[in-house]
Amino acid sequence: MSMRRSEVKRLESVASFCVLGVLVLIVAGIAVKQFRYDIGRFGIAPDTSETTSALSAKEPGTGNSGGSLLNELVPAQFRPLSEPSFYTADNLYEKINGKAPLYLESGFEKLFTRRLISRSQADLWMELFVYDMGTAKNAFSVYSVQKRSDAETLPGKRFAYKTANTLYLAAGRYYVEMVGSAASDILAAAMLELAEKINENPAVGDTAIPELELFGKEGLTADSIKLHPAGVFGFDGLSDTFTAQYRLDTETVTAFFSKRASSREALQLARQYYQFLLDNGGRDILAEEPDIKMVDFYGTIEIIRHKGAFVFGVHEARDAKSAVKLSEKLAENFTD
Amino acid sequence: MAPQTGNTRREFIARAAKAGISIAACGVVSYVLYDKKGPDGKAESQDLVTIPDFSVPTQANRTMAVVKGPDRVNNLNKAIDLLGGIERFVAAGDTVAIKPNVAFASPPIIGATANPELVAEMVRLCYKRGGAKQVIVTDNPINDPASCFMLSKIGKAATNAGARVVLPRKHLFEYTTVKGGKLIKNWPVFYGPLSKIDKLIGIAPVKDHHRSRASMTMKNWYGLLGGRRNIFHQDINTIIAELAMMIKPTLVILDGTEVMVTNGPTGGSLSDLKRTDTLIASCDQVAADSYGCGLLGLRVADLPYLAKAQKAGAGTTDYESLKPIMAV
Repeated sequence: MSMRRSEVKRLESVASFCVLGVLVLIVAGIAVKQFRYDIGRFGIAPDTSETTSALSAKEPGTGNSGGSLLNELVPAQFRPLSEPSFYTADNLYEKINGKAPLYLESGFEKLFTRRLISRSQADLWMELFVYDMGTAKNAFSVYSVQKRSDAETLPGKRFAYKTANTLYLAAGRYYVEMVGSAASDILAAAMLELAEKINENPAVGDTAIPELELFGKEGLTADSIKLHPAGVFGFDGLSDTFTAQYRLDTETVTAFFSKRASSREALQLARQYYQFLLDNGGRDILAEEPDIKMVDFYGTIEIIRHKGAFVFGVHEARDAKSAVKLSEKLAENFTD
Repeated sequence: MAPQTGNTRREFIARAAKAGISIAACGVVSYVLYDKKGPDGKAESQDLVTIPDFSVPTQANRTMAVVKGPDRVNNLNKAIDLLGGIERFVAAGDTVAIKPNVAFASPPIIGATANPELVAEMVRLCYKRGGAKQVIVTDNPINDPASCFMLSKIGKAATNAGARVVLPRKHLFEYTTVKGGKLIKNWPVFYGPLSKIDKLIGIAPVKDHHRSRASMTMKNWYGLLGGRRNIFHQDINTIIAELAMMIKPTLVILDGTEVMVTNGPTGGSLSDLKRTDTLIASCDQVAADSYGCGLLGLRVADLPYLAKAQKAGAGTTDYESLKPIMAV
């Protein structure tokens, strides 16, 4: 009997030590984790060390590897006014504050910035913002939705324009802003020089955005295509949506399309958008074609369709027939 | 007789007692160590500060003035005169803090920051006509503070007018909680410059804002927050309303001479700006912003933080009830 009890005790001891070992590991894990909680994520007030870093005399990320990219971008008659600075999604707000969500929604990866000053005139300087958006499509999105009303397109460059004191361009995965301290010919020439250098830089990568070809050319207003990351026409569900202006017989309307993951998703989104319009005061109009949803929205016509994985349509038209015709032309390009 | 394989009654009782004592001991230790409050993210001994009320007594029909014209400096002088003169707001010997919007290290022409000439003129008014003992100009910008004050030209303009520029430093931050607030709890604020002053004047441009739709005088106080304040952008309407609850200024100046109508709050291009030739001086910051949103083509209802601030008692969105003094 005593032998049997001794065997049982040995087994119990091994099992107990195993259980205790697991418990010790759990306690150690909790102890380590609790001292590494992310105050930003949990919304707890930060300690003063957070404040200290925010008050650092230097800008975040100064001297980071992003500088090598910017080192090549100094116009001939200019010199750096500051070291290159580097921002990620975690601290983008430190540079552009409330505008950060616009970039974050569009796939932002990194931002490199640097100020450059004229060697001859101390009051002429510019700040260069190079946003790495990951893909040409993402870069085009932030470029297109921010395009200024007085944009002067640059000859020979597909996605580039200037205003009195700025130059903006999308080149492959990069969206670039150059903001000058004044409306100056010297600054404008320097910005053009930088634009050339950026376009020639192999780091811009693939520049193709196949979706842009899905808008038919007939009646299309030049440079009117935009890619919206979310919330198109006030409807949250309509994300990742291309829009373009078309000149019809008597009016200019907006055509749109969004490619979803599947035909089923496209159908569902089309229905949701149609319902959204009805819920907000729209009135259903019976269309001649069964696959077209048409809504009278406070005096303008909204057309919603789907084909394959595409949701598409026409926004704010007055002439229903022309709008339907435009939607038919759009449909021809959606082969999925 | 089969061998006995189970425990004796004595052994069972002894083991059960040991197990019971172990469980009870664990319970006692857990109870003693349990932190009912949880981590609050700051030192336990930290004292909270309350930002003083810097407002001046109200005067009937002299709460808000709106002056139209292309020259913002003239408009400022006129607006303050219409409200009773700077003497109403600044007494001889006062120490005055001016809080312009110096959020970005950007050139003044793009309108992302307060106009340096306007800031300088306010400093001069406080000294020359108000008899202020000292005027300080301060902000805790988004970008590097020294660069912001230098490139926006506010630092030089303020200094030339005789003001002392106070840049944020670690020791100038204290923790505060806004009474009735949801977000500003035990949060660091740029309290140092406010702790030794008699009056506080805010100066902000009218700007489009990607998140809140408009940035004006109430949003300008964002520059007094420390820490990872960007997390408040998730609830932008509440934080702006709480800023208005936290700060009771002597006067706010809303500069709508050129407003940033698109691509705010950073802007960049001159084409983001539109001339509206309007300057508002107001003792009621909610009223000032309620008027100012019209310069961006917005209605009061488009900016939920205005109603929230009114509900919290920070001012009124019905600016017409204040009978604002209009002048050209």
